[in-house]
Amino acid sequence: MKILVAVKEVAALDEDFEIRDDQLDVDEDFLLYDLNEWDDFSLEEAMVIKESSDTEVEVVVVSVGPERVDDVLRKCLAKGADRAIRVWDDAMEGSDSVTIGRILSAVVEKEKPDMVFAGVQSSDDAAGSTGISLAASLNWPHAAVVAGLEYKPGSNKAKITRELEGGLSQEVEIDCPSVLTIQLGINTPRYASLRGIKQAAAKPVDEISLSDLGLSDSDVGVDAALSRVRRMYIPEKGMASMIEGTPSEQAAKLAEIIREFKGE
Amino acid sequence: MNEAHEITRILFEGFSNWSIYLFYVIGYTAIGIFIYGVYVQIRKYRRGKPDASWGEFFARFKDMSKTMATHRTLKRRDKSAGRAHALIFFGFVLLFIGTATITLEYDILEPIFGITFWYGDFYLWFSLILDLAGVGLIGGLLYMMYRRKWLKLPKLDYARPDREPGDPDYDRSGYRREDWAFLWALILIGFTGFLLEAARLIWLSDTATVWDYRWWSPIGALMAHVMAGLGMGAEAAGNFRTGLWWFHGVLALAFVALIPYTKVKHIFTASASLMFRDPMAGKRLPSVPEDQEDIGIKTITDLTWKQLLHLDSCTKCGRCHEACPATAVGAPLSPRDVILSLREFANKSLQSKELPEQAELDVHGKDVGQVFMETLWSCRTCMACVEICPVAIEHVPIIVQMRRKLVDEGNMEPILQKTMQSIHKNGNSMNESKRKRPRWTKELPFTIKDARKEPVDVMWFVGDYASFDPRNQVVTRSFAKLMKQAGVDFGLLYEAEMNAGNDVRRVGEEGLYEFLANANISTLEKCDFNSIVTTDPHSFNTIRNEYPDFGGEFEIQHYTTLLKQLFEQGKLKLNKKLDYRVTFHDPCHLGRYNKGYDAPRELIKLLGCELIEMDRNRDNSFCCGAGGGRIWIPDPVGIEKPSENRMREAAEIEELDVFIVSCPKDLTMFEDALKTAGYEGKFVVKELIELVNECVEFDESEVIDADVVSA
Repeated sequence: MKILVAVKEVAALDEDFEIRDDQLDVDEDFLLYDLNEWDDFSLEEAMVIKESSDTEVEVVVVSVGPERVDDVLRKCLAKGADRAIRVWDDAMEGSDSVTIGRILSAVVEKEKPDMVFAGVQSSDDAAGSTGISLAASLNWPHAAVVAGLEYKPGSNKAKITRELEGGLSQEVEIDCPSVLTIQLGINTPRYASLRGIKQAAAKPVDEISLSDLGLSDSDVGVDAALSRVRRMYIPEKGMASMIEGTPSEQAAKLAEIIREFKGE
Repeated sequence: MNEAHEITRILFEGFSNWSIYLFYVIGYTAIGIFIYGVYVQIRKYRRGKPDASWGEFFARFKDMSKTMATHRTLKRRDKSAGRAHALIFFGFVLLFIGTATITLEYDILEPIFGITFWYGDFYLWFSLILDLAGVGLIGGLLYMMYRRKWLKLPKLDYARPDREPGDPDYDRSGYRREDWAFLWALILIGFTGFLLEAARLIWLSDTATVWDYRWWSPIGALMAHVMAGLGMGAEAAGNFRTGLWWFHGVLALAFVALIPYTKVKHIFTASASLMFRDPMAGKRLPSVPEDQEDIGIKTITDLTWKQLLHLDSCTKCGRCHEACPATAVGAPLSPRDVILSLREFANKSLQSKELPEQAELDVHGKDVGQVFMETLWSCRTCMACVEICPVAIEHVPIIVQMRRKLVDEGNMEPILQKTMQSIHKNGNSMNESKRKRPRWTKELPFTIKDARKEPVDVMWFVGDYASFDPRNQVVTRSFAKLMKQAGVDFGLLYEAEMNAGNDVRRVGEEGLYEFLANANISTLEKCDFNSIVTTDPHSFNTIRNEYPDFGGEFEIQHYTTLLKQLFEQGKLKLNKKLDYRVTFHDPCHLGRYNKGYDAPRELIKLLGCELIEMDRNRDNSFCCGAGGGRIWIPDPVGIEKPSENRMREAAEIEELDVFIVSCPKDLTMFEDALKTAGYEGKFVVKELIELVNECVEFDESEVIDADVVSA
């Protein structure tokens, strides 16, 4: 019995960040990396199943990304994951979420897990599509925004609760294996103590390249992406302003602004 | 005049041989029971982890003897109990020495070497001294009975704040019964001793070598006269003496036999506990070796033998219970109960012949005898308990080591988890960007040296609250101006400074502490400076006492001593004095932790303020409630916070103007508590730096105007 948990190292903005010169992303100097918040919950869900199971359950975490991603994988190992896999090749730079889903599906085919968990979305790109495109690539059943899960390792069905708009919940029975994207609050993620993280540093992170997955350069990266970032920018704000003074002063000021806009 | 040899007490006078044999059989049985009990106790301690406290044996022994001889720790904050204990203690010791002297002559020196000395003048002085010792013993015991029965001291109420009425281990009434049995047993032994003395005097009133010297046993003689006056004749006295002799003897031997099984054992365990006291307990928490897999205390056998010994030395005097800020506000923690819980646990599981299964040794949990998680998280590591414990129990290191296990298993408030993660990520507890740390310097009219780039004399370690908290930034800037005015060559680490880790360590997140300490040490080691100064007592403590364990040996002082020096050297001058009526709150980490009681008070006097002390001052200062990571965990709503309790105490001072603090966390806690406790407008909370700033003569006028908040 095996559960694969797909995780992502997300970037958070530091104070006073700057946009890269090519205007496609934030300058990396101003990014702080950490495990995606949703993934804390999906890993915890896998750990809960593992710990309450009578049979052996292996929890494998997988992430697509460069070497720095090892930090978050180690954090997952510190929280109790049995194994960690990192998939990377420089050619993957610029892949969109659908491509990442395809890469992950190759990992799933290699690992043959009984269940795959992913977060509903990542806090940086917020595309919310990696988990679902992974399911699509595999042609597996999937459920998104899972807020409750009843699953016994080895069984071919799982009962899940999905969170809908307007405070509604939906109870769904799903065939397994399947891909579930896990919502925040489904459980209480455990704390990975620094000592635990340090000890997990001794555990290996398996590195997998494109060729290990039977993929080629043309399957990944910017060119394979179906969507491309054109520009990243900070939208202008502060267009509204309060006009103060007596009614006649306010009217005069307003007239002046209108004239200005008309270019008079 | 009688022959000196005849003036003595004939042992077993009038006893048949078989009754003497019987007595010896009972005596050896008692000793056997005693020795077996001692063996069981030692086996229990040996089931704990090793501890390196055997070093400096003689220095430790000397220190222990001094503490016991002066009764210094027992007299603190309870003089009467201390004096009564001294009477019991010295009475008991003298009576023991007396008995041992008789044994030495009768059972060893006389039968083997034919040497005797217990007669004549020696015997008479011996009688007198032991009579007085007996009076002391009984007097002390009577006071203890009075105190337990009539004084109704809250600290002697064993009901536990961490259990509910009705819980099987709620009121610990067993202890109360034991206390009374102990007092009654000892007083009966003492009183029957005197009765016996009196009966013997009447019985032998015809024997001149006894009767003529009766006033050398004044109490016995007095009682003999009373008893004779009531009509007791020699023969009746003789019969009475025989019965009483057995009662007294068997009771005394039973008492000896039961020492290792009852609270009486404290005569050994408390002495040993004092001897193995660690003067750095709590100030420097134990490090965990790199290769050690497990961390913290999970099972009872994770305690060291020394800690197990400490548990056994507790006599439930309640001084820690009284001093604890958590107990005072009704949190589910009393340091006394943590110690007693663990002791009961150890006695239950470690006294049996076979060690129980590992699972049965877990001290954490919700069962009877286990320590609750809420209890451990209630501790503010203020050290009030360790400070006052008369027998040197080290509660705080035990609590923190138990928390290490909770942290390891993730059993902590989610909000505390977030803070720890933020400290790991950003190096500060405010969840702010590293870049923002030196932002407070921007509003200064001068630039502070970057100690990473150029050598400085004094390295200023600012700390999180002083760097990020807006209210504290005002104080931080004032201190910068004071140092500038005094011509101190100082610098900062700017963005490279990280949380010093003092409170992270006291939370029990040892791995994160190691990370922070190592990071700060390596940054500091790359800089060129002579000494460190900080306004934060927490950073002060860990850099001073704990960084050396990680290879960081730095000279550090709290700002209070630096300012004092600057005034003494004439580098700072006052241009006015303040006529405020003030009180001073000793921060735990400056006061109790590092004994920095005097410098702030001298500064306050220098400023001309009238200092009125609160009842709880110096070593008995009452924690603001922020220590041990509790500043990151919200206190429960609806019950008084320790800081509010403190405000209530300060408000009792008539016409108080300023409540002075000298710690950034104190400023935050007490300014908040001043409002929530409803004393806003009655007095103000201020940092000592702010008062100094008001009075110091600055060269540049614009500096004086800035940041002066009027009282």
